[in-house]
Amino acid sequence: MSAYLEVAGLQKNFGGLQALQDCSFAITQGRITCLVGPNGAGKTTIFNVITGFLRPDAGHVVFCDRSLDGLTPQQVVHNGIARTFQNLRLFADLTALDNVMVGLPRQFAEEPLGAIFRPLHAARQQTKRREEARATLAHVGLADRADERVRNLSYGEQKLLTVARVLATGAELLLLDEPASGLSAGALDSIMALLRRLQNEGKTLLVVEHNTRVVQQIADDVLFLHQGHLMAQGTPQQIIADPALAEIYFGGAI
Amino acid sequence: MDFWFSYITLAEIYVLLGLSTNLLVGIVGIFSVSQAAVFGVGAYIVAHFLLAAEPMSFLPALGIAAVCCVLLNVLVTLPALRVSGDYFVVTSFGIQLLATAVFTNWTAGTGGANGLPGIPPPDLFNHPLESTGELTLLCTAGAALGCLAFYLIMRAPFGRLLRAIREDESAVAAAGKNVLRAKVSAAALAGAFAGVAGGLYATFLSFIDPSSFDLDASILLLTMVVVGGARTLAGSIIGPFLLLALPQVLTLLDIPTTIAASMRQLLYGLLLILFMMFRPQGLAGGKL
Amino acid sequence: MLWLQLLVNGLETGCALGVVAISFSLIYATTKIFHVAHAGIYTMGGYLAWWLVTLGVPFLVALLFAVAACTAGGALIQSQLYARLERRGATHLVILIASLGTLAVMQNIIAAVFTPNILQFPIPWASNVVVLGGSVRLTWAQLLTIAVSLAAYFAVMWFAHYTILGKRIRAVASNPFLAQITRLRPQSVYVIVVAIASAIVALPGVLVPLDLGLQPYGGITPLLTATIAMIAGGVGSLTGAFVLSIAIAELQNLSLLVMPGEWSIGITFFIFVIFMLFRPTGLFAAR
Repeated sequence: MSAYLEVAGLQKNFGGLQALQDCSFAITQGRITCLVGPNGAGKTTIFNVITGFLRPDAGHVVFCDRSLDGLTPQQVVHNGIARTFQNLRLFADLTALDNVMVGLPRQFAEEPLGAIFRPLHAARQQTKRREEARATLAHVGLADRADERVRNLSYGEQKLLTVARVLATGAELLLLDEPASGLSAGALDSIMALLRRLQNEGKTLLVVEHNTRVVQQIADDVLFLHQGHLMAQGTPQQIIADPALAEIYFGGAI
Repeated sequence: MDFWFSYITLAEIYVLLGLSTNLLVGIVGIFSVSQAAVFGVGAYIVAHFLLAAEPMSFLPALGIAAVCCVLLNVLVTLPALRVSGDYFVVTSFGIQLLATAVFTNWTAGTGGANGLPGIPPPDLFNHPLESTGELTLLCTAGAALGCLAFYLIMRAPFGRLLRAIREDESAVAAAGKNVLRAKVSAAALAGAFAGVAGGLYATFLSFIDPSSFDLDASILLLTMVVVGGARTLAGSIIGPFLLLALPQVLTLLDIPTTIAASMRQLLYGLLLILFMMFRPQGLAGGKL
Repeated sequence: MLWLQLLVNGLETGCALGVVAISFSLIYATTKIFHVAHAGIYTMGGYLAWWLVTLGVPFLVALLFAVAACTAGGALIQSQLYARLERRGATHLVILIASLGTLAVMQNIIAAVFTPNILQFPIPWASNVVVLGGSVRLTWAQLLTIAVSLAAYFAVMWFAHYTILGKRIRAVASNPFLAQITRLRPQSVYVIVVAIASAIVALPGVLVPLDLGLQPYGGITPLLTATIAMIAGGVGSLTGAFVLSIAIAELQNLSLLVMPGEWSIGITFFIFVIFMLFRPTGLFAAR
């Protein structure tokens, strides 16, 4: 049986810097896979290639037996993969609710003609979708912050919002770029609980993470990346216990 | 009294242009100096049909003008936006200069530098609107409909999509939305507004010539949006009313007529610089 | 031999345009700002020189004064307007609008002071004709334009590749972020670049009107054509900009064989559309 998401032979060179070097791996459906590795290992680059933000110099990406090569970011989302950004990239002047609503697919009046000529229908549809968005926010634990501007949310809340935004798209494979970084202990626990909850609901997660505690607690599989290449693969215990990998990751023993 | 009607009617026509420019520049964030060119296309098309041997009724002519201006804007923005924002700057200047060249030199179609005189007043269902009062009413209706359309799209998901695009295009793409299509739709709508404004302008003034649709006119439109305020309905209304009153205020300063036009344009340029430096959101707008 | 005459005329216009193109390219590639007001600097140079010449100042002195004034003007716009706006986090659009406003101010001050009518340089020797190869006629003004433009091109190329300042500019242009953190001080580089580019653009700003006369709003069309040449030649390639300027000028001139001159902007724009659709990065895009 072919893998859920398969990445094969990815190469990417940025003006002399080899970001991805024959990078290949596969993700199993329904599992939480963590992508770890030192800075500059190519983790975000992989996200960018999978989601269509970057075209690789060579290699392929296949999702559920469909090729993602050459697709635009929005086409990738329609195929069922959505990603968050390390630097959040939320819409700062919009409310949390509006941020989520931007992600909802197939809305009526997302173009001018419907908005102008069928205003009542548009308003009714918006009310329905708004409830959907509120439900998504409640699901990540932001129900009471729905009408706040993003700039008024705490960092932890903003991180939860980025997850809500990808959930809104209805994607089944979520690529999360450092969802736990910069969070306090309490917010950390919330996010980890959320990720486990999402897995139980049938989502597959590919998570870039630096925090070893988070990796240990939530990961089913770990992919260790170094210099744009998959160096090791295994359970969290196997990867974390390997002294050679720790050397690379921390530049010395822990 | 007639003077006030004239001022208000002209201001209302420019409100439509303000909405058009605001859509492009304020909301989508495209630098456009070709709005006057599209305005001109609308005006010349309506004038052409009203002056024809078998004159067309006003509303169908207006419709044709609107459609043509929509197509023009789409044709102009689509290829340029696929590449980059700065490409559109060059395209916009090019379109404006090309349009002025066409308006001035294609004497057969546009009357050349002498323009098209004697454009008949508009007729609504076989009833010609000849008095200034009736024309003002027509333009008021036009402006009101324009404002209504603007209001409706801004509170619809389309408006939210445009606001999000303004903040972070990549994040919008990552949310699964087609950024290019949204921008081009906004540009198409802007074209419709400008085309309708052109048609109203042609019948209201009954005479049009290339000087109303040149680069200086585009700069005036930009100034209206900058001063009135970008991205808001209020800004699209305040800007035109204020800027059209300005020349009247200037006449009080007793400036010799030879340099009056240059002084006006100088003032617009100054307003652009000052507002960008000290109040980019204009009087009633959102941040540019 | 009309076409030969047209070719030579095209060479002259193209060289002048080429200087405008490389000066604009310097600014755009380094600061990333689409400096529309550059057309105002170009125009200002011509009018200042004209004014001095009418006061009896020798042409060369007037030219040098125009160059100096343009240098100062450009530096002023960059340091007092663009730099301030950037410090306040102004978007690209805001800076563009401010630049357009500056252009409008400059053009209209000139129109108010000098009238919108076309002015000619009162320099008799400029219109003396030289006949080359038996049939091609060039005025001294045109010959001077070609010579000065080519000299300017080679000077800028030498400067960009063989001087420390030139290399610093190219470093900042290729990576402004890196430049910021490695003490290359991009902001002062920006001012220097705009100053140099403004100095250079004063040359065609003065020489072209020797031939065609001065007009307050006459800067925008050459600037537009120059930016198209820059894009078609590849942003960041000075040679590309210069060569494409000549190519476009030649195409414009040769088109006179088949259509009236007022439509030459159509040719330029047509070339732009072709490039935009099929090769947006231009012919010789810098890596």
